[in-house]
Amino acid sequence: MPFETLDFLVERSRSGKAVVLAVAAPHGEDILEAVDEAREKGVASPILFGDRARIEKVASEFSIDTSSWPVVQEADEGRAAELAVKAVSSGEADLLMKGNVKTATLLKAVLNKEWGLRSGSLLSHVFLFQIPRMGRVFCLTDGGMSMYPDLEAKKAIIENAVECYHRLGVECPRVAVLAAVETVNQDMPCTVDAAALTQMNRRGQIKGCLVDGPLALDNAVSEVAAKHKGIVSEVAGRADILLVPDIEAGNLMGKVMLYMSGGRGAGVVVGARKPIVMTSRFDNAETKLLSIAFGAVLSKA
Amino acid sequence: MKRITSLVELLAFAKEVGPKKIAVALAEDPDVMEAVENARKEGVADAFLVGDADKLKKVTDPMGIDLSNYQVVDVKGGQGEVGIEAVKLVSSGKADILMKGMISTANFLRGVLNKEVGLRSGGTLSHVYLHQVKGYDRVFFICDPAFNIAPDFQTKVNLINNTVNLAHAFGIDTPKVAALAAVEVVNQDMPCTIDAAALTQMNRRGQIKGCVIDGPLALDNAISEESAKHKGIVSEVAGKADILHVPDIEAGNMLAKAIVYFADNKTAGLVLGAKAPVVLTSRSDSPETKLLSIASAVVLAAYQDR
Repeated sequence: MPFETLDFLVERSRSGKAVVLAVAAPHGEDILEAVDEAREKGVASPILFGDRARIEKVASEFSIDTSSWPVVQEADEGRAAELAVKAVSSGEADLLMKGNVKTATLLKAVLNKEWGLRSGSLLSHVFLFQIPRMGRVFCLTDGGMSMYPDLEAKKAIIENAVECYHRLGVECPRVAVLAAVETVNQDMPCTVDAAALTQMNRRGQIKGCLVDGPLALDNAVSEVAAKHKGIVSEVAGRADILLVPDIEAGNLMGKVMLYMSGGRGAGVVVGARKPIVMTSRFDNAETKLLSIAFGAVLSKA
Repeated sequence: MKRITSLVELLAFAKEVGPKKIAVALAEDPDVMEAVENARKEGVADAFLVGDADKLKKVTDPMGIDLSNYQVVDVKGGQGEVGIEAVKLVSSGKADILMKGMISTANFLRGVLNKEVGLRSGGTLSHVYLHQVKGYDRVFFICDPAFNIAPDFQTKVNLINNTVNLAHAFGIDTPKVAALAAVEVVNQDMPCTIDAAALTQMNRRGQIKGCVIDGPLALDNAISEESAKHKGIVSEVAGKADILHVPDIEAGNMLAKAIVYFADNKTAGLVLGAKAPVVLTSRSDSPETKLLSIASAVVLAAYQDR
């Protein structure tokens, strides 16, 4: 069982060379506060791409000292996103963070064929949750970059999450392909996909991990529940990575983990050449800090 | 009747309106007998235990359960026969609630759906999870996290009606129903957001009664007033939802199980839409969950009898 808490993220992000964080359009206090905290804790060193006047106004209103922070002046959000992406692409920065710019705008820049961060892989959202009741960390993927991923997309989503775990030092993470039940039922297409993904893993088509499914969530995280159902599986009860079938299931489950578990979370978008931190306005300060730390750790590895 | 706002209150109310009579199909199941014995001791329910009387005694003796507290109905045939005998007790009115014991779900449901002696009501069978979650001041009803895989429109209406009826039994006169999706706006690439909008309008046109429906709503919009306000959502349901209608079985199942395993919670489960309440617990349900499931069946049975 690799991780009991998320404490390691901040620690590891601080070791070695400081990570440079390119923030696209940091015009809101929620972003500036998060970046400030990351900077203070030695997690990342920011370069802001946005409108200096707006930044300074918000900074002074919320008592954030941005005077020593490098700012690349660009009032237009789309162009600010472009500059931030280019900075990461050129190696000037290690990690990209979405500020107060539309996700679609940022992603358009990320996916630019000439100067973007395309890697040929699908982009997917990887969220680590530390759940007190279970005393351990789970990874939920994909949080909604793909809405209704087909088999190939699910394979890519698994591979992205597995790659993250490799970078975190876990050689062979266990991946549970979630469904409502643990048996294959042709009326439930995601159970058929789950079986396919399991076999793909066994045939070496998905490497570096153990994949099993379908598994219902309780089967995936609780050995007792798995035993009650008589499930024979190397993943049941011990899953690290929880692959959800679609955006609705992922959203509902993710929100329970974020808001009802009393735990902590850290999320990044992976699949591009460098990780992208995309926090929500509703994420609390700790989630934002841990997300930046997670991105920092991934960008170093 | 006072509104039930927690599963602790549910249990207390079940004691008030109980005991009701359960018919257990294939009772020689230690986990189910533990739950039934608890329910009997709590004054919530008595039971007919249907199955092989000898096998039953072998299960209950080591548990210290006194079978003279129950009515044992000795049926030595196969699961099919036991299922029919158990459901007959409920459909004839001798028992109020049907509960699944060691019988397979398929055989159990065959009994429920039997045309002559079953509990068909012309509606749709649906499952509901009830959750009491720390930090929230009311019970959440999740429909349908386990029975209907990809419900079509009419089925969604039926399962909402089933759940609304249960909320009424809990003293919630006009439950607020959130038609959940991943987002709070209608997006033609996400079909469940369109269904949610349709259900909302059907409610407004009086096609679905006894409740207030709004959707699409994401989970946080549905249960957190602050979150709803931040998103600028204007809705009677946002932040105050009682019933959480999920888009399909996967989303529902993951929502419910995430609550059970990750949150500080008490949980109960029930099958609705038959002529009488049906209790279908799982071996991995805690003894408390099983007791609360029986208690919710008792409260529903009392409501239906009123």
